[in-house]
Amino acid sequence: MESPIEPPEGDWWSEKVNRRETIWLGISGLWAMTLFGWMAGWTQFGEQNQTGETLDVPPERYREKVSAYKDAGTDSERGLIPAGEDVYVGAMRYAFDGLPAVLETGREYTFHLGTYDVQHGFSVRQEETLSKQLSLQMLPGYEWLVPMQFDEPGTYHVVCNEFCGTGHRTMHAKFDVVEDLSAVESADASDSGGGEPAGDGSGASGDYGGWFTGDARGGEVPNYDESTTDATGSDAVTVTVGPDGNFTFDPPAVRVSAGTTVTFEWESDTHNVLVERQPEGANWGGHEAIENSGFSFEHTFETPGVYAYYCNPHLSLGMKGVVEVV
Amino acid sequence: MFGLGTFQYDDDGFRRCSVTGLDIHRSAEDMVKLFGVTAIVALAVGGVFAVFVALTRWELVGLLGPADFYTYLSMHAWNLLIFWMVFMEIAILYVGGPFVLGRKLPLKNVAKAAYAVMLGGAVLINVSIWLTEQPDQAPLLTSYAPLPSSSWFYLGVVIFLTGALVAAIPFLTTIWKEKRENPGKTLPLVTFGAFVTSIVAAEAIVGGLITYVPTYFWRIGVLAHIDPLWYRQMYWIIGHGSQQINLLAMISVWYFMTHVVGGAEVASEKVSRAAFVLYLFFINMGAAHHLMSDPGVSTAWRVWNTSYAAYGAVIASMIHAFAIPAGLEVGRRKRGEGGGVLGWLWSAPWKDPGFSSTVMSIVLFGFLGGTTGVMMGQMQLNMTWHNTLATVGHFHATVALGTTLAFMGLGYYVLRLVFGREWILKPVAMVQPYLYAGAMSIVVLMMMYLGILYGIPRRHPSVTDIPGTDFDFAAAEPLFIVFGVAALVAILGGALFVVAAVGTLVAGGKYDGALPVEAPTAFGSETPVPDGGGDGTGPGSGDGTAPDGRDSTASDGGVDATASAGQGTAESEATDAEESSPPWYDDAAHHALSMRGTFVMTLVFLGTFVVLWALNWYLLSQLWQVG
Repeated sequence: MESPIEPPEGDWWSEKVNRRETIWLGISGLWAMTLFGWMAGWTQFGEQNQTGETLDVPPERYREKVSAYKDAGTDSERGLIPAGEDVYVGAMRYAFDGLPAVLETGREYTFHLGTYDVQHGFSVRQEETLSKQLSLQMLPGYEWLVPMQFDEPGTYHVVCNEFCGTGHRTMHAKFDVVEDLSAVESADASDSGGGEPAGDGSGASGDYGGWFTGDARGGEVPNYDESTTDATGSDAVTVTVGPDGNFTFDPPAVRVSAGTTVTFEWESDTHNVLVERQPEGANWGGHEAIENSGFSFEHTFETPGVYAYYCNPHLSLGMKGVVEVV
Repeated sequence: MFGLGTFQYDDDGFRRCSVTGLDIHRSAEDMVKLFGVTAIVALAVGGVFAVFVALTRWELVGLLGPADFYTYLSMHAWNLLIFWMVFMEIAILYVGGPFVLGRKLPLKNVAKAAYAVMLGGAVLINVSIWLTEQPDQAPLLTSYAPLPSSSWFYLGVVIFLTGALVAAIPFLTTIWKEKRENPGKTLPLVTFGAFVTSIVAAEAIVGGLITYVPTYFWRIGVLAHIDPLWYRQMYWIIGHGSQQINLLAMISVWYFMTHVVGGAEVASEKVSRAAFVLYLFFINMGAAHHLMSDPGVSTAWRVWNTSYAAYGAVIASMIHAFAIPAGLEVGRRKRGEGGGVLGWLWSAPWKDPGFSSTVMSIVLFGFLGGTTGVMMGQMQLNMTWHNTLATVGHFHATVALGTTLAFMGLGYYVLRLVFGREWILKPVAMVQPYLYAGAMSIVVLMMMYLGILYGIPRRHPSVTDIPGTDFDFAAAEPLFIVFGVAALVAILGGALFVVAAVGTLVAGGKYDGALPVEAPTAFGSETPVPDGGGDGTGPGSGDGTAPDGRDSTASDGGVDATASAGQGTAESEATDAEESSPPWYDDAAHHALSMRGTFVMTLVFLGTFVVLWALNWYLLSQLWQVG
């Protein structure tokens, strides 16, 4: 009787081991060697290895690099066409800066993966075949250079799969892989517009054409109670961008007199201001670059009408606002 | 304690367990009760939150919004992965040490203080998660810096870990005293397993303190910066290390329970102990597989650490996968309980929830948890598993199927043998392990399919409708329906355990059964086998009873057995003879007994493993070029 709750008797070390147990030990050892050999071998003969150089790059600096990359590339209807073989992706709560992009089949690109704030995931799948997917970690302070080459054209969807805050699930982007990039470029050149859609803001007062609801682009605006803050008459008005870390503009809707200067002040990180629509003849550009807490810019609104704007990374969370000029 | 136990102690505070023959001291038993009951409370709390988590991910119901989802998910994770497990593991240390060695629990006040500190930490963690307010985020299990959670949360973790570390001291002191008094004596296998567990646990907990103390100082503003890469590498020492404690405690429980309930013996002391030693050196490196798709560590680091010295820990697990069923096989063959290839298994006490939980824990852990763990630990395959729902499937297979089932099985016997109470609602207790294991297996399989075949992310409150984009994972909806229904059944199965356990504690009658190992089914009841099989009268006396059992019964069996043992190096096939005329008790050396049933089963296991592994590599090879 050899019980596991009693001390073994005698010279248990020298006791023979059953032949089948010995065979199993051998099998286990061989299997372990196979697993190891295959994994090490795949780095040599396999085509899927998540390996590449890693650089120490502070988030601020990485933001500048992504910005420079975007400036160098060509904008197209379907996304940014990179100037060379480098593709930069800057993750932030809750968007991927640098995407969407348009890439070409058969070219080896180097993906640069980094984040502006917290940890994120770079999880890519093919639209038609969801099982063709992979997932890489993105860390603030580190820029990871991972080469990738796509042979199948199509749309590739990117979702964040590392928890980054309550809006985590909304973090989505995509890139297209096409067989001939020059076709995309020339198609785009003939269609000169490409920027913000032209405005029809004039008549839509009151509910601003449903801009604050979930029916418009992005989510419902959490801090809008169907009333517009009246600041007509004052000549300096401030809109807070991301107060207390919330994904809102405060006040979400403000009415000002023509000629008023409105200051946008950042109270939390990774926001921008993009213009959804504005009155005919007005040319407010918003502020496209992603900025952090402490940043501010101002604009003097001259043309009466409704200016609808939003923060691009947090559009799906309802980070939208309106300046109504009377 | 609590007035819930029914046993009397002698003047020295000892009592002899009528089933295991162990001499148990009140000081150890009180603490086992305290930690065990607390663990079951944590199981109940975590189980309640499982309902909300499952009903949110099953989007047909879609119970919670994002903010609530993350809070509830964090509560689910901490109560089940940490509190249910760690409180139970401390109880297991006190069983594996003082119980098995027949000693008092030394430093009882240290144990009490450790309990109080752990409980305080656990409560603080729960409260701080529950009261999370923007811009703090719910920590989930990982609390990846620099995403901030409540500062009280980090403090709670430091307190809890400190308590757990201190709680191991009385156990280690027990071992120390035992070895000082009996320097020449080998520790029993279960104690040895518990000892290795405590060392692995201490490594994990110290790693956790090194992670969470600076993180706490960062959160309260004393440190300006925390490196996310450093955090990840350090965090996983505790994050995965805590699960390695589960693994080792679970394996010790496997040896203990198959013996107590199924009559298993140790197939080979040398091999089983060597496997524990392999764990000691290699299992903590298993945590490295969390960094396989990270930017911060080199390829060589990753390949070396996932292979960690040619899979030292994987080999150890495969050894236990053979040794434990083999122990059951030889133990039952010895007593003539079933012949043929698998007769010893069919004749086992399947109606006993302690037995069925344990065996299903072994099988399901191996097939579903172990295989997937090895696969996702391969550097390149990790890309397709990382942070998908398949990962969640893996650790539900290891923890919710493997460890939780094993601890449930142990829990049934803690009720009988520690509290001295017979189970109430016996039909419920009989069915409960099957219901829980069956449904949870389906949950786990669905999670794996959803993760690997559809790439569903692990931490999303909704994937079939993602706000702000046209893209979604609606194609996966049918699998989510199966997942949702099975999850509810599994939770029901878990709840039935809590009901049976709490009901037994309060209303169960006195348990005075002698031997849960049923009399050999083939031979009626006039046998003296209970004495021999239970072998419960303490060290040394076991050898006396076994020959008695043999002598009083079939002598030809004895001859056969002697013959097969006598052949020595000759093949164990000789034991075929023993099936035709089984002896009462075959005193042959274990290595001479047939282990062919176990061998067949482990070959089936290996075959499954190889097929799953090849399928995963095939899927990976379909991807675009990376690297």
